Amino acid sequence: MTAILSNDFVKGLRSNVPLAFMVGVLIPTVIFLVMQLINNPDLFLQTFMKSLGLGSTYALIALGFVLIFKATQTVNFAQGSLAVAGALFLSFAVADGHIPLTTIENPLLRIGGPSWIPWFLSVGLALSFAALLGLVIERLAIRPMIGQPLFSVAVITLGLETMLRTFNNDTSETELRSLRVPWGVQGFKIGDAFINWSYVAGIVAATVAFIAVYFFYRSRLGIAMRAVSLDQEAAMAQGINVGRVFAIAWAAGAVLATLGGIMGSQPPVKQTGSIDPTSANIAFRALPAVILGGLDSAVGALLGGLLIGSTEIFAGQYAAGLASTIGPGYPLVIPYVVMLIGLVIRPYGMFGTPEIRRV
Amino acid sequence: MKQFRLLMAVLLAFALIAAACGSDDDGGTTAQDTSPPDTEAMEDEDDAPATTEAMDDEDDAPTTTEAMDDGGEILTDIGVDDETIKVGFLSDLTGIFAGLTVPITDGSEAYFERLNDNGGIAGRQVETIVLDTGYDVPTHQQHYDTLSSDGADGVAMIGTSTGSPHTASIREDLVDDGLFAIPLSWNSSWATAESSNVFEWGTNYCVEGMNGVSYLAETFDATTVAILSFPGDYGEDGALGAKLAAEALGLEVVYDGQGQVIPGSDQTPVITSLVASEADIVWATTNAGLMAEIMGGAAAQGFEGQWGGNGPSFSPLLLDSDIAPLLDTNYTHVQPYAAIGSGGSAGMDDVLSLMREYRADNQFLSVYVVSWIQGEIVRQVLEAAAANGDMTRQGIVNAALETTIDMQGLMPDLSYAGEPNDQVIRSSFIFDVTLDNYNADATVLDDVGDGLELIDGAYTSQTAADWDYNPCFAI
Amino acid sequence: MFGRPNLYTSYEQETKLLPTWTQKLLLGLFILVLFLMPFDLPIISQIPVVRFLGDEQWLRIISQVMVLMIAALGLNLLSGVAGQVSLGHAFFMGVGACTAVYLGGEANSQVWGHGLPVWVWLPAAGIAAALVGILVSPIAVRVRGLYLAIVTLGLVFVGIHLGNMAFGRKIAGPPSLGREFQGFDLRLWREETPLINMSDDGHWLWFDVSENQKKYFFFLVMVIGFTVVAKNIVRSRTGRALQAIRDRDIAAEVMGVPEFKYKVIVFAISSFFAGIAGAMFAGLSGQLLSDTYNLLFSVEFIAMILIGGAGTTSGTLIGVFFVVMIPRFVEEFTKWLGDAEGGVSGAVSDALLTTGGDGDFGIIASGIESQGWPLSVFDWNVVLFGVLIIVFLIFEPLGLFGIWVKARNYWKRWPFSY
Repeated sequence: MTAILSNDFVKGLRSNVPLAFMVGVLIPTVIFLVMQLINNPDLFLQTFMKSLGLGSTYALIALGFVLIFKATQTVNFAQGSLAVAGALFLSFAVADGHIPLTTIENPLLRIGGPSWIPWFLSVGLALSFAALLGLVIERLAIRPMIGQPLFSVAVITLGLETMLRTFNNDTSETELRSLRVPWGVQGFKIGDAFINWSYVAGIVAATVAFIAVYFFYRSRLGIAMRAVSLDQEAAMAQGINVGRVFAIAWAAGAVLATLGGIMGSQPPVKQTGSIDPTSANIAFRALPAVILGGLDSAVGALLGGLLIGSTEIFAGQYAAGLASTIGPGYPLVIPYVVMLIGLVIRPYGMFGTPEIRRV
Repeated sequence: MKQFRLLMAVLLAFALIAAACGSDDDGGTTAQDTSPPDTEAMEDEDDAPATTEAMDDEDDAPTTTEAMDDGGEILTDIGVDDETIKVGFLSDLTGIFAGLTVPITDGSEAYFERLNDNGGIAGRQVETIVLDTGYDVPTHQQHYDTLSSDGADGVAMIGTSTGSPHTASIREDLVDDGLFAIPLSWNSSWATAESSNVFEWGTNYCVEGMNGVSYLAETFDATTVAILSFPGDYGEDGALGAKLAAEALGLEVVYDGQGQVIPGSDQTPVITSLVASEADIVWATTNAGLMAEIMGGAAAQGFEGQWGGNGPSFSPLLLDSDIAPLLDTNYTHVQPYAAIGSGGSAGMDDVLSLMREYRADNQFLSVYVVSWIQGEIVRQVLEAAAANGDMTRQGIVNAALETTIDMQGLMPDLSYAGEPNDQVIRSSFIFDVTLDNYNADATVLDDVGDGLELIDGAYTSQTAADWDYNPCFAI
Repeated sequence: MFGRPNLYTSYEQETKLLPTWTQKLLLGLFILVLFLMPFDLPIISQIPVVRFLGDEQWLRIISQVMVLMIAALGLNLLSGVAGQVSLGHAFFMGVGACTAVYLGGEANSQVWGHGLPVWVWLPAAGIAAALVGILVSPIAVRVRGLYLAIVTLGLVFVGIHLGNMAFGRKIAGPPSLGREFQGFDLRLWREETPLINMSDDGHWLWFDVSENQKKYFFFLVMVIGFTVVAKNIVRSRTGRALQAIRDRDIAAEVMGVPEFKYKVIVFAISSFFAGIAGAMFAGLSGQLLSDTYNLLFSVEFIAMILIGGAGTTSGTLIGVFFVVMIPRFVEEFTKWLGDAEGGVSGAVSDALLTTGGDGDFGIIASGIESQGWPLSVFDWNVVLFGVLIIVFLIFEPLGLFGIWVKARNYWKRWPFSY
């Protein structure tokens, strides 16, 4: 008992767990997957593309978490509701042709040409709406909390979640709402592997978002944000406008959430091309990805998202026969189990900055 | 500034508490007005039928203004006075079933508005008391305590009790309080003696599973079946019914997904197993979103079976989504009551005229049929109780036990008399999904719009007809 | 004789639970009122809020408040006192409830159960949860801050998954349906007639007591007991060690406070509280539903202790009361608006309620609107709950306890307060 109640035990965990994990789990899994690849390459390719699709959706949402965390040092629990709010806006704009809760028509639908042109323009409109929503939320609820305990801010985002969820439920009538995505559930075939266009769209969207963030980090404002994430007071002393960094982070976070929400309405997350209020769960499914990658690392968000997404899909595909043993709905917990193992090995995720602690 | 903040916070707290106390004052005084007139009279209820003859004619006339004259002779206890009858609704208005329950409750309000405009029941206006349970058992019980109390919100009967575990958690109290309740849940257990005051209407999930699988097997010449369901009282009741039918018809169950569809999870394992099973037909008791997800995912991997599902597994909104063509060709819908606009029965005309007159802007939804059926049960039971001269809570329950409720073709007529085996309804409405019938913007003013086309209004499979009642999935 | 507020002449005096006679007297009176509240007694039922809460229909809510208070006290020790924020509190409650139903419930073809009496299953619920807490605690040494919060959040998902598995269904009943939970009847062992019957209306001493009242008294005794325990832990050696770890863990270790040992201890204590509360929560509704112990439930506890004032026992109790009762108060408030005609309330209700006509800017729909703006009363209840959380934390980050301290200091220093 005394052995367990000592720090040596924990240090032992740190050195032995990675090794045990490699030998016991990772190597058999890789061997199994290689066998599956040889056995049925088409199915493997299909599963792989599906996992990339889910992974990039997770990565988009995870990136939103990371940006908000970098600026305000808090996890935004309203991310899922923001995703649904943005996607609902798009749904009303393209399916009903008006702005939600008003009778103002969506002018973009009058633009001629192929139907995908107004759709993409409307996505832009929805993203601007999301940015505006992020700004408003930041100004009203987050800005007054500068310097307050972090968990108070986290609970404020929980309050926001409650509010936004109700508005989402009411606008959508708690029902499915189509987003009229141009490629729908269509796809193409490579050999026997069926690949949805939405997987490709997800990968493209995630790539664009990460490139944008890469350049943003190198811009003046991006450097300011990184400074704020290291030390708010020191950044203020250097003349950085912390409030503006907050605002930008929330706007960007809401935009990324909306992108994730739009991707989350399509395969592999949903087959209907529709969004409904339960879609907000996508944020909780993406949380392990954020944590595994490291709360303050954009690269971590990308890799974490892909890792969690592929674990979920590959386990769903190749362990389906075990469902009666390991319980139905196991894809829901696998990300959390992976996250738990990951954190025991690296407490700040794969790329997270360890907190510097002073005595 | 600091003091201003403090003041704001204190004021907020006090405003709320003061408001709550204020309302209690109102409650307190009204409670005295409506205090039970005579509890002793309740014991004479066996003698009461003396008044029934005088009121027998009423059964034919839906409006009962004449009843005013003998109103004084009706026994009452809680929730009924000379002017009003209070009916309670335990509805989920903000929880996960709000999408279904909000329009149902709206339709019920419309139903009672019209009833009141036509003179009410036994000369009394019906007052609806709607409480939001948020699909949460403790909240459901707390609101039940409000409705069952003898305070201002004490009711004569409960017109909706949403959810199975929720209704199960109050069923003993219902018997103790002698309250009548209609469950918004079609589990096969509600006909048992244990749930004697829970008055279920419509075909239960289990029988629907039997009818659905039998119909699909006959129509598509199937030899293998796959079953998908949510875990719990709803999904597994349907899955067990489907298995009973498969056994009776000699179908092989190639994928048994009873309880395997978990909401919120990725459905890849279910899809993979389903595709691998290559079943001819699939029976689903899930919700619309998840059925679509599995159906679309399986189709993308080349699965070609025919699908069937019961009530909540389909929503016309799916026809606005990308898998609409698949539903059109591969899906058959089974539900306990007529879909709105279908069947051409007298009841359907009444539903449409009700909605057109009182809620002309509402969408074209089948749930208004549910509202109408619930309202009709409340009306016919209350009228029977008034005719018996006993509108006490127990009197209403007794009246329900001996009345046959005329559903005017929207579903088989209801009777709660006799053994459970005689009460259970064994026929289902079967629909085909047709995109031609779908119109996203349809309102109740239209005639079609929900994409359903009636195939059979009284389909009873041999399995269902032979079934000796016994709850499939006991609550 | 009354003592002076800030005059302490010895260390013992300073760490006393109730340093002054006034506090003892007031607290004694308060507890007396709580015990007599459910009865329709002449003086007590005239006190405004008490009269209203003592109503039979409100007792179930008050009982729920008290159960959640026990759980929140546990979370306060873990998150408020020791600074380890956990979003997995509902999971530990679920562990307690499942243990309790496994030991105390009746078996049938669907579920397991042993039908043991309450004095076995209630402590066992706490102990089982505490053991699971000890298993989880090493993670808390490795992982800190928000990372810990999200790891513990993972526990909630794992717990619900266990409930979906075959053995979980045998214990907790089928998901989304659950199973019946035993009553609190006190038996020596498995005999027919209980020593104390808790599940029917009956007669205690000189009073007629209903089932809800019996539960109320039992819970009241439990809450008082657990509050004393929690308060004593905070002012003991353990409590001081926990606070040291919260404030600066490395410094605490340097000073000879073993971090690992105390984190294990606090996880065990906090989970014990949660386990007991989880079993009582299921016992209150008579229904165990594994999906009740979900993320939202955990989150509510965090909101409760933050709104009440993290790290303070009395703040925690007020926070629970506030968070559970606010939706009900809002409900009553909107009902009052709806009924109002004329006067101030009438004017307010005219301004807020809409009748649907053009040029009517009311924000509350008069009926159950199925769609869009304005929102229905029921939706506003939920929205207002969110708004209140936000407004409270913005205006008073220290929670309700902070408001109390400020108000007290204002009067203490009057007329020199600023």
